Amino acid sequence: LNAAPGRPPRQHVRFLPAPDGGDGGATGLVAARVPVLADHPLVRGPRFRRLKIGAGHRLDVKASGVFILGIGHGNKLLTDLYNCHLTKVYTVGGLFGKATDDFSDTGKLVEKTTFDHITREKLERILAVIQGTNHKALLMHSNIDMKTQEAYELAVKGLIRPMGKSPPIITAIRCLQLALPEFQLEIHCLHETQQYLRKIVHEIGLELKSSAVCTQVRRIRDGVFTLDDALLRTQWNLQSIQNAIWDCQLKVKTELEKTLG
Amino acid sequence: MALRGARRAVALGFRRGLAEAAGPRSTRQLREAEEAAPVFQYVGKAAKRKDRVFVWGFCYSGALGVPSFVKPDVGWKKPRRIQPTPYRLETEEKISSAACGYGFTLLSSTTTDITKVWGMGLNKDSQLGFQRSRRDRTKGYEYVLEPSPIPLPLEKPQHTRVLQVSCGRAHSLILTDSEGVFTMGNNSYGQCGRKVVEDETYSESHLIHQLKEFDSRVVQVVCGQDHSLFRTEKGAVYACGWGADGQTGLGHYDITSVPTKLRGDIAGVNIIQVSSYGDCCLAVSDEGDVFGWGNSEYLQLASVTETTQVNVPRHLPFKIGKVKEAACGGTGNVVLTEDGNVFVWGYGILGKGPNLIETAVPEMIPPSLFGWSDFNPDIRVAHVRCGLSQFAALTNRGELFVWGKNLRGCLGTGRMEDQYFPWRVTVPGEVVDVACGVDHMVSMVKSFT
Repeated sequence: LNAAPGRPPRQHVRFLPAPDGGDGGATGLVAARVPVLADHPLVRGPRFRRLKIGAGHRLDVKASGVFILGIGHGNKLLTDLYNCHLTKVYTVGGLFGKATDDFSDTGKLVEKTTFDHITREKLERILAVIQGTNHKALLMHSNIDMKTQEAYELAVKGLIRPMGKSPPIITAIRCLQLALPEFQLEIHCLHETQQYLRKIVHEIGLELKSSAVCTQVRRIRDGVFTLDDALLRTQWNLQSIQNAIWDCQLKVKTELEKTLG
Repeated sequence: MALRGARRAVALGFRRGLAEAAGPRSTRQLREAEEAAPVFQYVGKAAKRKDRVFVWGFCYSGALGVPSFVKPDVGWKKPRRIQPTPYRLETEEKISSAACGYGFTLLSSTTTDITKVWGMGLNKDSQLGFQRSRRDRTKGYEYVLEPSPIPLPLEKPQHTRVLQVSCGRAHSLILTDSEGVFTMGNNSYGQCGRKVVEDETYSESHLIHQLKEFDSRVVQVVCGQDHSLFRTEKGAVYACGWGADGQTGLGHYDITSVPTKLRGDIAGVNIIQVSSYGDCCLAVSDEGDVFGWGNSEYLQLASVTETTQVNVPRHLPFKIGKVKEAACGGTGNVVLTEDGNVFVWGYGILGKGPNLIETAVPEMIPPSLFGWSDFNPDIRVAHVRCGLSQFAALTNRGELFVWGKNLRGCLGTGRMEDQYFPWRVTVPGEVVDVACGVDHMVSMVKSFT
């Protein structure tokens, strides 16, 4: 940003003594437009010294994926996006047969178990139950009185969502692949932390009468931002950032209008 | 210390065992330790899923089968009036059929052992047979608090299997595969299929009546409040019992004490399912048509007639598709079509929000309330059941949805409020079947793994 040409220095009119001494005395002033010394780049220094950058939903060290940042005035949009309570989508990879103390494969080993009895059908059954109980929690935390007609209509459309603080809720979960001992799940959730997702993997292992650890947590969608909108490490330059902001502006605006009215 | 060290050296022959290398273990050491760790096996490859029974609802009548709810084993505990969430009931055998009556429950299993049927709850009219009291061998129990075997007078007790049980207000029916139907309980309206005896005392009665004279084998028995319906293999329906609302469907409003075949619109039609719980009855034919008779005060049959009592089966011309299953409640009815949609009509909390109180024409409940969404497009409702003022639906994924009046906690949701649209009941397992009563419910569940 600082390398871009800044605005030209201001000019002002100064009365300078004439270069030629003249008839040695007063009134030898000539009006000339000269640049203000205070505006000289070497005096002023770099134009942008600090940038206000705000972060969206947290992503911890062991996880990867889409991470929203707001720059400058965009930070105000960040709070609005948080209040929209949109779901995030994660791809969670797990491994059966081990249980560790921090639920990931880099932790201290607690127990090893067999896993050859696990079939895709059993896993799907457990996932269906997890979805069911979380759906119940979704309806309960949305703070709508269940006895009203509008609660019924929202429930039919599937639009009931907690619009305030709530414990982590999984709105949808499904198994992408199962190749013993590894498996991969796609989880849509609200108000969660990555450690909570690792704990869910551990609990799935326990339900199946075995044990599981989480190998990978990758956020593939955060509200309206998907992997396609995200910038890679090699693309962290001004031009790509500006293009990305430009592309997403419309999406963010429509989503905010739709949800917050 | 030195002595111990010396002894150890002598015993082991080398001195390495005392101290390990200091500092954090390297990756290789960690990996080796991990590989050397023992592997636990919790369940083998051929582990079978276990069958369980869960009960919930009103406890004081003993219908839940858990004695500690009514008479706590510890002095300081108070008796539990309502069990608001599913509670596991330990049974000796796998229960294949269950039925909830008005304050009592029957469980049956398809075993060939001598004990095939267990009952618990109210026994004031011997609807659970004669339960000999342990204190006084001539008297019987009026309240049975835990599942007690019901002795049946079978000719071949080790060959006959009990297929199905059904309970009404004060009587019960037990269907066997080769010895007909056994009835017990109150017979003041002839609902047990035997002649009404004036001033008969039904409590502590040993009498269990056997019914065998039907045109073919009976495949389903259904109890209404004070009447009984029998469906035979050939598709005919027989009825006996109270008929003042026309629920026997025999063309008159008197009581019938002998099972008689029904005529009307179902004569000649192959009926594949019959249902009743209050005073209204529904039958489903193999072609997907619905027939109804009985009480119509709550608009259950208002689509064909204005009268409030219909004593002859009438075809209900609903254009909702081929009907697979029907269930009758006290004031509302529900049907399930072939494509998995649920339709309700009648009076009361029907399941479409607090605004829909009564309707004569079936209204569909949106499948999104049962968990159907773009994410799960293949969820379908597999069965529907009715209690007196509540409904239950089972999906093909094994989830149980209930809605209706939450009388004394019978919905099992954990809350005491009425539920105006289908709500999931969290049961730790896949629900295979559910039986609804007036104020309690019983479900047969398979565990997950």
